Amino acid sequence: MLEIMFAPFIVKAVIAALLAAIVSAVIGSFTVLRGLSTMGASIAHASLAGALLAFAMKYEPLLGALALSMLFALITAYSSEHGGVRMDIVLGVSFGFSSALAALSLSLTREYTTTAYTYLIGEVLGVTDSDIILLSSYSLAVIIGVVLFYKEFKFITFDMEAAQAMGLNTSFYNYLMIMLIALTCVVELKIVGSILAVVFIVAPAASAYEFSHDMERMIGLSMLFAVASVLLGMLLSIVFNLPSSPTMGLVASAIYMVSIVLSTKRRICACRIPVIRTIREKTMR
Amino acid sequence: MRPVILLENVTVAYNGEPALMKISFKVEEPSFLVVAGPNGAGKTTLLKTLLGLLKPIEGKIVVLGINVLKNPLRVRKLVGYVPQRERIDPSMPMLVKDVVLMGRTTKTGLGRLFTKEDIEAAKKALELVGLEEHWDEAFSHLSGGQQQRVLIARALASNPKLLLLDEPLSGVDALSQNVILGVLREMADRGTGVVMVTHDLNPILELADYILLLNKRVVGFGRPNKILSREVLSEAYNRSVDIVRVGETCFVLGGDSHA
Ligand SMILES: Nc1ncnc2c1ncn2[C@@H]1O[C@H](COP(=O)(O)OP(=O)(O)O)[C@@H](O)[C@H]1O
Ligand SMILES: [Mg+2]
Repeated sequence: MLEIMFAPFIVKAVIAALLAAIVSAVIGSFTVLRGLSTMGASIAHASLAGALLAFAMKYEPLLGALALSMLFALITAYSSEHGGVRMDIVLGVSFGFSSALAALSLSLTREYTTTAYTYLIGEVLGVTDSDIILLSSYSLAVIIGVVLFYKEFKFITFDMEAAQAMGLNTSFYNYLMIMLIALTCVVELKIVGSILAVVFIVAPAASAYEFSHDMERMIGLSMLFAVASVLLGMLLSIVFNLPSSPTMGLVASAIYMVSIVLSTKRRICACRIPVIRTIREKTMR
Repeated sequence: MRPVILLENVTVAYNGEPALMKISFKVEEPSFLVVAGPNGAGKTTLLKTLLGLLKPIEGKIVVLGINVLKNPLRVRKLVGYVPQRERIDPSMPMLVKDVVLMGRTTKTGLGRLFTKEDIEAAKKALELVGLEEHWDEAFSHLSGGQQQRVLIARALASNPKLLLLDEPLSGVDALSQNVILGVLREMADRGTGVVMVTHDLNPILELADYILLLNKRVVGFGRPNKILSREVLSEAYNRSVDIVRVGETCFVLGGDSHA
């Protein structure tokens, strides 16, 4: 039964999911450390609205998703830069606005349920070659962005105030980082859908945080957890005949819960159990 | 000689509410300036104003001979800044070397890795604060005082012409406090401008070249021995303050609002 793992459409799905996993692990580490997860969720919903709107108007959905998520990224970044308005209110309203927009564009499409469903929970098994090309170029853009601006991103993540005081254009890097998060949301939209996008951006990075004392290790572990969620999720979904995206999301969340218990940063009573203590000591450094 | 810092009639307000009023003073080399005053006196506001991060509603600011209002970025690139430590989340996954190298970020081109020169400058800065053996350690594993010294090393790593430090002595152990003051005095003697904010004057009475007592306006400014009068200090802190001389050393009693 496992030979189905190597059927062409599965291979394509795995490639696409691995792409998504790796990009979100990289950008997710910055998202988690800067406390931007909620912003990620709001942007993911904007990308859903964009995809549905474009679909209703017979444009390429992923381009629509890109346009609207970028717009929302800019709006939220602007309001975070210019203070005066409380961030949770901005996010709450923009979340509601993008959801309303998504629901509205949904009613404009005839293929009501199927299309909605694919962008809500993704359709990793249905990715085409052209999807893979588009997603790879988005992913590449995110990776190049992070590599190019890595030391600047690290500085603003750790200490925005000193970065600005010492002459870094923090506003530029803040906008850039949020736009890369938006780009990642679009990649996620096709693979796991808007509901699960945030799980994939946040859970692997948050799990990695529990075992990391430096950023490079956190990003590396985060990639590892994301790839494990994809492969294990895909396998479980085939074995138990479940939809693949939600299964991957469940695995990613499960890894996070286990990470909290095994964390080398927290003192949880589970470390008194001998097996867990051994694992903890092995992962500690 | 060109003044390190020159302020003339500077007024800064938040939403129309003035935080600094008509501030004027001039600092020349060697310039270890200590800014003291109670909480809410506008000390942090003053540092941000010196960097052009806050725009005054009136007044003139010249730092290192540069007009801050016209050219804030030029000033900032010459500055090493040490924020209040509470602003930083110590659980961030960063190594000591990562933090110190941040000081080199604007010295290295975009998309470039840190060079040998950057790493040397960072190591030298860490050595100055006596923590060179912690280079590869996690920032979160250090004590509060050590973390503060790493933040100072980060500022030093950029080879600044001016150091701005926001309450670098608060919540810091005695050893770290001595190391920090020693480094700052040495930097000032070597021609680097130093502006240090504190709410506790005691540790620096002997070391400072200038003291600025601030409480929204300038309550006192000058050489330490000149402004240390009971009246001036009491006004600065909004409460009665006593000065005790023990031999060569002065102590201010009741001034530290956190004591
Ligand atoms: N961003 C801000 N918005 C509005 N008021 C502020 C802001 N920052 C500081 N203030 C006010 O300005 C005054 C001076 O603050 P600050 O410079 O932080 O004082 P200090 O550093 O001496 O404790 C305080 O009354 C404070 O409430
Ligand atoms: Mg302050």
